[in-house]
Amino acid sequence: MIDDEGKDDSTGSGKEKDDQSPSLDKRVTQPGRHVGDRYVRIVRPTGSGLRGHGGRWVATEETMERTGRFGRAWDSALRFLIGKRLETEAEGEERVGVATGLPILASDNISSSAYATEEAMRVLALAGTAALALTMPIAIAVVFVLAIVILSESRVIRAYPNGGGSYLVARENHGVIAGLVAASALLIDYVLTVAVSTAAGVAAISSFVPELHDYRVVAGLALIAVLVIGNLRGVREAGVLFAAPTYAYMIAMYGLIAFGLFRVLSGDPPHSVTPPNPFPPDGTTPLMLLLVLRAFASGSVGLTGSEAVANGVPSFRRPETTNAIKTLVLMGTIFATIFLAITWLSTTIGIQPDLNEQETVNSMMTKAIVGAGTPFYYIVQVTTAIILLLAANTGFTGFPRLASVLANDRFMPRHFADVGSRLAFNFGIIILALLACVILAAFGGSVTNLVPLYTIGVFLAFTLSQSGLVRRWRRLRNPGWQVSMVINAFGTVVTGTVLLVVAYTKFEHGAWMVLVLIPLISALLYGIHRHYQTVHDALVITGPEQQRVLALPAPVVIVPIARLDRAALQALAFARSVSPTVKAVHISTSKASAQEFERRWAQLETDIKLDVVTSPYRSLVAPLLKYIDAMDKSDDRPITVVLAEFVPHHWWEWLLHSQTAFRLKAALLFRPNTIVIDVPYHFEDADHHTRRK
Amino acid sequence: MQTKRILVALAGTSADPDMLRLVASIAKPAKAEVVGIHVIEVRWNLPLDAVMEPELDRGEELLASAKKLADQTGLELETELLQARDAAAAIVDTAVERKCDLIVVAMPFRKRLGRVYVGRTVQNVYVNAPCAVLAYRQEETR
Repeated sequence: MIDDEGKDDSTGSGKEKDDQSPSLDKRVTQPGRHVGDRYVRIVRPTGSGLRGHGGRWVATEETMERTGRFGRAWDSALRFLIGKRLETEAEGEERVGVATGLPILASDNISSSAYATEEAMRVLALAGTAALALTMPIAIAVVFVLAIVILSESRVIRAYPNGGGSYLVARENHGVIAGLVAASALLIDYVLTVAVSTAAGVAAISSFVPELHDYRVVAGLALIAVLVIGNLRGVREAGVLFAAPTYAYMIAMYGLIAFGLFRVLSGDPPHSVTPPNPFPPDGTTPLMLLLVLRAFASGSVGLTGSEAVANGVPSFRRPETTNAIKTLVLMGTIFATIFLAITWLSTTIGIQPDLNEQETVNSMMTKAIVGAGTPFYYIVQVTTAIILLLAANTGFTGFPRLASVLANDRFMPRHFADVGSRLAFNFGIIILALLACVILAAFGGSVTNLVPLYTIGVFLAFTLSQSGLVRRWRRLRNPGWQVSMVINAFGTVVTGTVLLVVAYTKFEHGAWMVLVLIPLISALLYGIHRHYQTVHDALVITGPEQQRVLALPAPVVIVPIARLDRAALQALAFARSVSPTVKAVHISTSKASAQEFERRWAQLETDIKLDVVTSPYRSLVAPLLKYIDAMDKSDDRPITVVLAEFVPHHWWEWLLHSQTAFRLKAALLFRPNTIVIDVPYHFEDADHHTRRK
Repeated sequence: MQTKRILVALAGTSADPDMLRLVASIAKPAKAEVVGIHVIEVRWNLPLDAVMEPELDRGEELLASAKKLADQTGLELETELLQARDAAAAIVDTAVERKCDLIVVAMPFRKRLGRVYVGRTVQNVYVNAPCAVLAYRQEETR
């Protein structure tokens, strides 16, 4: 096998001599300087970026590098924005612990503490300022529901440590349709998380920069763009980027609460701050049960984001389940303490919400406690704005991951499962950002307009997953199943009740849109799955009789020739190498040009037969397609169309050519049983040749 | 001496990175071409062209990291993987074939019987190379 005279042994891995398949693995034996000395040069594909041997190759980062000036500039820009490419093996390093996981997965829930009180107050204020006294009982009810949700979600984490959350639980225990309903609800909710959080973040900034109020949509879109870049850099880096602001918010809020409590309890209660546009003191609607329920539903916005931890269990370092539960409990504790304290202080001080959302309750409460214009006021406002923006990051963590799970189950397009250069689900991130931008713009960047759409999805998903777990415990009957079942059954009742309240009270305020969208998206996901299933059934190799590569007869090759030139001759030569049955066809627009073409063809040294079709209506593609149809009917052998394509040096030179080959390719793309082969002709002019040299 | 082509023998030891930095400092001002080779020594009980997967993997790996390091230092390094019975003979033969005017070899700091130990390959390259040889000995680790 080895040629001692220094010739190639291109197989290099023990293949037979008559194997003419090309190989990258070449070994050349070289004689040494001394008699009998020999050594083997292992010739690898230089510059290809492929590493390996014996038919097993690894594509290194070099293969990913673009060539050309623009390609290199694009690579540099991408590297600057989203960082260096990561290998798949680095996935383990991209996981996070509790300290980093908290800002990534729990920022949505924790940040809700900044506006949940206000949302409940805004509904109660419709019945007059006296009705604001009900804010605290509503906050306690919300925290009670949160405690039930956290207890139930910890069961979800234990039962489904691979993530997937409500979708997986509902699918496994209630069936595919319920799973898809939960998935649709969560997908909608994640999009709304981004839109609402961004709007709330901008509102917090515009509380102390009022000029921004008129540009809140543009500011929101810009902030979403920043979040996209942060998330394209990967989960771990996004966590590192967002960890500091989350902890800064917590420190600022606990500091503010401690100082506020000290002032109230020490007999120095802060004076209330009047909002720029107060609600009418006597209200516009009577205080009825429905209004209280609506206020509870609006306050329940604070429960959103608590499902993100259960969905993102695989993002945690080992032991994933323990870390996820720790994060969940920490998240609930932080939210509950901040939310209850803000609500208590606001109602005690006598803060009222602003009718036009010009200033937040949080801002007015901070002004009352520490004074307007003090450094601490700005610290609280800035950290609040930042955490509200980071809450949108929970959507960026949850949506792409859930979409990838759905894509792997063939309910969403495959692109959602593709992992990007930084191991993030880039497609999901970009689609989420686009959807959130559309919603943000459509609702004018208003938190109050967006909030009614929110929370329905998450409570529907909660209810489905809780009830799913009840069925699971009953089915499996593991040790202690009764306790788990009671917890989840209670969770089902509580979250189901909240769902009904939220859906009923927010229906006419925009919730109907979500209720219409959920079945539509579920049907779409199911339709996508049916398509993939049909394609899979058509493509899959089912039995041993299909496990062989058939020897097909040589095809009938048709070579459309527009002009007899070098590109055409190259295509004809290639066609001849593919099959002995080659037919050239020329579509001519007049009899005279047809005769001229036949005269030139006769001068060509070839045995390939020519058919000339005269097209008096000057159309090229339609007559050619009919010609191929007719040829197909007259011959049983498969049809192969070989196209000669002239390739210019620069992209702009394409505009100067008619692109006939391209149009033909497009026309033949959906023609059944037709193989289309493109033979590109790269021309070498004197100028280009010199430059390349 | 005007150095135009340098052959660097990469053994995969801890001395390789230092040696490459040294080569970069010589090659860059002289605009010399640099070829980095790794020789897999094949035992006599195997055919010369035997496919030794672990050794090939290691060789590929160390050449790749040498290339990466060279890129970082701004050195254009062409790499080659060889199999031979004796590494020194293959290094010298490759240097002759490629018309190299300098061979650079490295040795980690090792002592035997109280004396610095050069090693068989470095010694044989010194003895047999027709061109200049620069042996980089790593400093003693403290």
